[in-house]
Amino acid sequence: MNVTNTTVETFERERRRMLIRQRTQAVVGLAIFSALLLVSFQRSQFFGSDIGGDPLGRMADFLQRMNPGLQPELLLEDRQTRGSLHSWFYALPIWLRAAWQTVEMAILATALGSVLALGASFLTAQNLMPFAPVRFVVRRILEAIRTLPDLIMALILVAAFGVGPLAGVLTLTISTLGGLGKLFAEINEEIDPRQLEALQASGAGPLKKIRYGVMPQVLPNYASYALIRLEGNLAGAAALGIVGAGGIGLELQRAITYTEFDTYLAILMIIIAMIFLIDLFSEHVRHRLIGLEKA
Amino acid sequence: MTRPAYDQALAIAPDALRAPWTRRARDAVLLLLALAALVGMAVDLQLAPGALMTGFGKLGRFLGEMFPPSSGGQSERILRALAETFAMAFAGTAIAAVVALPLGVIGAKTVVSNAALHFAFRRFLDIFRGVPALVWALILVSAFGLGPFAGVIALALADIPNLAKLFSESLENADAKPLEGVRSAGASPLAVMRFGLAPQFAPVATSQTLFFLEGNFRNAGVLGIVGAGGIGFELDERIRIFAFDEVAFIILLYMIAVACLDTLSRWFRNRLA
Repeated sequence: MNVTNTTVETFERERRRMLIRQRTQAVVGLAIFSALLLVSFQRSQFFGSDIGGDPLGRMADFLQRMNPGLQPELLLEDRQTRGSLHSWFYALPIWLRAAWQTVEMAILATALGSVLALGASFLTAQNLMPFAPVRFVVRRILEAIRTLPDLIMALILVAAFGVGPLAGVLTLTISTLGGLGKLFAEINEEIDPRQLEALQASGAGPLKKIRYGVMPQVLPNYASYALIRLEGNLAGAAALGIVGAGGIGLELQRAITYTEFDTYLAILMIIIAMIFLIDLFSEHVRHRLIGLEKA
Repeated sequence: MTRPAYDQALAIAPDALRAPWTRRARDAVLLLLALAALVGMAVDLQLAPGALMTGFGKLGRFLGEMFPPSSGGQSERILRALAETFAMAFAGTAIAAVVALPLGVIGAKTVVSNAALHFAFRRFLDIFRGVPALVWALILVSAFGLGPFAGVIALALADIPNLAKLFSESLENADAKPLEGVRSAGASPLAVMRFGLAPQFAPVATSQTLFFLEGNFRNAGVLGIVGAGGIGFELDERIRIFAFDEVAFIILLYMIAVACLDTLSRWFRNRLA
């Protein structure tokens, strides 16, 4: 009787202590979170900015200026008529050319970056690179690339290589190397070791082992990752133009400089369409690759 | 050197050892075409080898000037900018999560069962998913003026469609059994949400939001380039005047901060999982 009583008491005491601890944790956590949130909003001038209040009013005003003022009966008129499609998309050929440049930048950078990543992935995979120091160094380099935001790299490369697509292609190539190098190495480490051993047993050198033992197993996965990266690189290339690395971003920057907000909207629509099309294409090819793999 | 085993194998199954020449030719032609297309693009972009060489020369000099990194006596200002960058990322992520939650609920197939509506809503989100934060920031700075506020809204706008998509996917993946259990006990729809759905959804959603916080801290670092405050502004300014020792200092500090936040966030996410 006495024993059960103390057992129950101990249980109740323990339970109460646990509940109190949990609640304190929750309250402290919530307090820290709220304080952080409040300070964040304060520091980011959410409640009042230096240039006067009324953000909602400014937003409305700005949305109004983005409206190209299309008029249904004037849609097909020429460029001089305000309210026609032509006056809204007045430099369409130039923008399409810039958009195509952005696509070219993304494709070139993805191709170059993938090839470099291929090389790096063999240097970092545990089952293909026997020397630990090489693996360690290459891995750290790839990590450093991944930590550095693309645009900061682009700023430095624009300073070195001048304004233009070259800096953009180099930036995206390096960042693709960092991202894909890691993913490729992970694929390499997951391959079936028996095929490698069979080649080793028949006296194949390291290059032959990679060509006949690794490549056939990993190529579909590589291609799939590279295509996903292409989607990301296209959005990245559009943004890089803003800092001077060529392509459609440059046109965006120009539209803002001349405060042509309706033009900005037009170019933004082109960018969205471009990203959408590449996504569709890449998804289609990736599904086919996966299908081939299954067949 | 004779290879009897090889000859024997070749005699039995020629296709296994040597692809037919038509296929080899096709592969070679495809490879050449792809290479030609890439070279064509490089020419079209006017990527000149000469510019590459002089650029690398300059880059080498910049990298040389980066050592030793120096704060330029402005470490307090730089730390403040770093704090501002984090504040932007935190506020932007918080807004994005709050807005994305109802959108995610609407986008979940299990909540809105009308297929056409579901499809239309998902496509609508997809349209905006690709727009990078910097593109939003560029225009918001001209709407709201220079300062971190535009950056916060830009980060939120870039995240909302992505987070909403992830939220609705995790809502769809929630196990229906706990919900039925709570419902069979006679609970109101709100109680079913609270005790059946929330315990499954909250940890996943929090983990996803933390992941976006990490990404936003990286993105927030560059928004300053277009005038949206934070560390990017300080960086841009110093790159323009070629003060690369200070650039190196800021980048190092920033990379350390990114690594710290990533570690902290990973610890949180592991605890949630």
